[in-house]
Amino acid sequence: MSKLRRSMLFVPGANAAMLSNSFIYSPDALMFDLEDSVAITEKDTARLLVFHALQMPLYKNVEKVVRVNPIDSPYGKLDVEAMVRAGVDVIRLPKTDSAEDILEMERHILQVERKCGRAEGSTRMMAAIESAQGVINAPEIAKSSRRLIGIALGAEDYVRDIRTERSPDGIELMFARCSILQAARAAGIAAFDTVYSNANNEEGFIHEAEHIKQLGFDGKSLINPRQIELLHNVFAPTRKEVGNARLIIEAAENASRQGLGVVSLNGKMIDAPIIERARWVLQRAEASGIRQ
Amino acid sequence: MNEEYIFCCVLKTEIMRWQQIANFLQQNNLNIDTDIEQFIVAFDEQQQLVACGGIAGRVLKCIAIEPHLRGQGLALRLLTTLLNQAFSLHRYELFIYTKPENEAMFTECGFHLLATVNGQVILLENSATRLKRYCQRLAQQRQDGRRIGGIVMNANPFTLGHRYLVQQACKECDWVHLFVVQENASEFPYEDRLDLIKAGVADLKNLTIHPGSDYLISRATFPSYFLKNQKIINHCHMALDLQLFRHDIAPALGINRRYVGTEPMCEVTAQYNREMAYWLTTAEVRAPQIELHEIERRQQAAQPISACRVRDLLAKKGPEAVKALVPESTYRYLWQHYAMSQPLVSSLAG
Amino acid sequence: MKIIQQSHAGTLESGDVLIRIQPIDSHQVEIELESVVEKQFGDAIRRLIHDTLHKLSIEGVRVIVEDKGALDCVIRARVQAALIRATGTQLLDLNWGAL
Repeated sequence: MSKLRRSMLFVPGANAAMLSNSFIYSPDALMFDLEDSVAITEKDTARLLVFHALQMPLYKNVEKVVRVNPIDSPYGKLDVEAMVRAGVDVIRLPKTDSAEDILEMERHILQVERKCGRAEGSTRMMAAIESAQGVINAPEIAKSSRRLIGIALGAEDYVRDIRTERSPDGIELMFARCSILQAARAAGIAAFDTVYSNANNEEGFIHEAEHIKQLGFDGKSLINPRQIELLHNVFAPTRKEVGNARLIIEAAENASRQGLGVVSLNGKMIDAPIIERARWVLQRAEASGIRQ
Repeated sequence: MNEEYIFCCVLKTEIMRWQQIANFLQQNNLNIDTDIEQFIVAFDEQQQLVACGGIAGRVLKCIAIEPHLRGQGLALRLLTTLLNQAFSLHRYELFIYTKPENEAMFTECGFHLLATVNGQVILLENSATRLKRYCQRLAQQRQDGRRIGGIVMNANPFTLGHRYLVQQACKECDWVHLFVVQENASEFPYEDRLDLIKAGVADLKNLTIHPGSDYLISRATFPSYFLKNQKIINHCHMALDLQLFRHDIAPALGINRRYVGTEPMCEVTAQYNREMAYWLTTAEVRAPQIELHEIERRQQAAQPISACRVRDLLAKKGPEAVKALVPESTYRYLWQHYAMSQPLVSSLAG
Repeated sequence: MKIIQQSHAGTLESGDVLIRIQPIDSHQVEIELESVVEKQFGDAIRRLIHDTLHKLSIEGVRVIVEDKGALDCVIRARVQAALIRATGTQLLDLNWGAL
């Protein structure tokens, strides 16, 4: 079963207080940002702050993601060097337009892993797609590297690229969302949705979260810790889903005990993907309870 | 932080924004000092100006926050941004003049009180030790003796009047410490004034010349934006300057006498001498008293010799006219520069 | 690392620390500390800063610290950032192990 990555809490890398305190929240992953939330004059200091924060014992048990600056910026290479050395779990590439972007990043990561003696391949990657070009290339991007755990949509830059603005219903993001999702599924990796930037609008957030869950997304980036609980609840299975999942698992276990080759429930054949999905539902139920 | 503020830097050349800042300051009963080079301002989500702080050399001035937003951490953010801006200009040693009620706000940002004029103004710098260290360095030049004199001089330019004052002080004292004001707004640049002073007193043995420091408070850059009128401004300037002299500078060198020339022509300086007598002896300042010695101005053609008079004559009639008023070294200098720079002369005339 | 100029890093916000570095003439390390937790942690903070400088073999500096309750890792990060800025270079060949 793949790791749960429903919620990724965004922490601006230049903010010392937030870096020190974010351990009190329980998202599935923490994303420390060195890119757009950090002023140009603070790129160097934020890098060191995050370098040290990543090594804090308090963050040992949470998955740590860092959004670095683009590799071709003055900061990207040093960002990657620092984060890989500090033990980051996943490096998030901003503004991924093509598979080549992934490969270039991968080369740098490998270089640093070798230099500092970190297990090769241990640094995973996540790609943020933030342009029309990126959306078009999503299938290739998603398949380009074994380190890639998922691809994400970055809506702020994307809507600027396609020359419109974000709206509450998000129709302008429809194509991008679906494309990214298809590409992720075809490549067998996760799909993540973008940030809901109105930190105080709970209703709006839930509306968007339900929408992307229905589309099939695995998770979403968050900017406000209050959104964590809300999101987990949206992703929690309903009582009915949990009930069905239990029946399926029981049927599978029964068949296995009786030495039967085929699992059936209610007259229908239950094959492996369905059983897998049932396990995934129960995993979510365990993590966030039953949908309220 | 619930409110999203945007901080930006505004240069003096941005006329409309500068006016916006001036209006904002007016609403807070503050003026805008003319020597401010740039401002850091904060806009709220409705594009309204809610806070500002100005940089004038190494002095932070005109710091104001929208009244209903005070006490919300906006001051801290403004100050951090302002400090960062000053630091990025490689100005690390900073001073603030402000109203006494703002002391807590600036203390929280690493500033330390240097001097106070009750109910009017306080002076702070962003170091707990810089003044102390300056005085420690001064103390290394202490001299023995019962009568140690101090003179603070602008010497714009150095005249025979200045020479006479220093000469008298050296006669009456075991040692004299001469401080040169580093006021960059003088007509004659600091380096030149210092050179002329050194040349003009080279023969006096019991004398130490101290280059200017931040702790001789310049009148030209003294802020006026929150003080009601010129009289109060002058009073505050003198009070702060003399407090530092009496409380910190003089004790480091054991100075127990201060020498000044009587000042019949420039009213501001005359007023200064009167206030000086007060500050050098008042119990308000916890430091040894200092005797004020006023020396009658040396005269020439029945008129006292002063820098004012020299500048005036220089502008109207050229160096020849001041030959009898200045030492040889100053005279040579004036010829060189008078010949070279007509603009210098016209600025003197104006 | 050669400290050639004054520099600074950090902010005055709660949980952070503002560090200023000044090169001085002696071989000493002088620390001027103002902290909201001076009583409980003042000495520990000074030791931490000495340690951070020592690991990078830095001497001949004055470190001015305005602490608003920052954690150790934040103090380290800010001191190191200020030191790197004080060298006036990008320090691309940093000794990562010393951080």
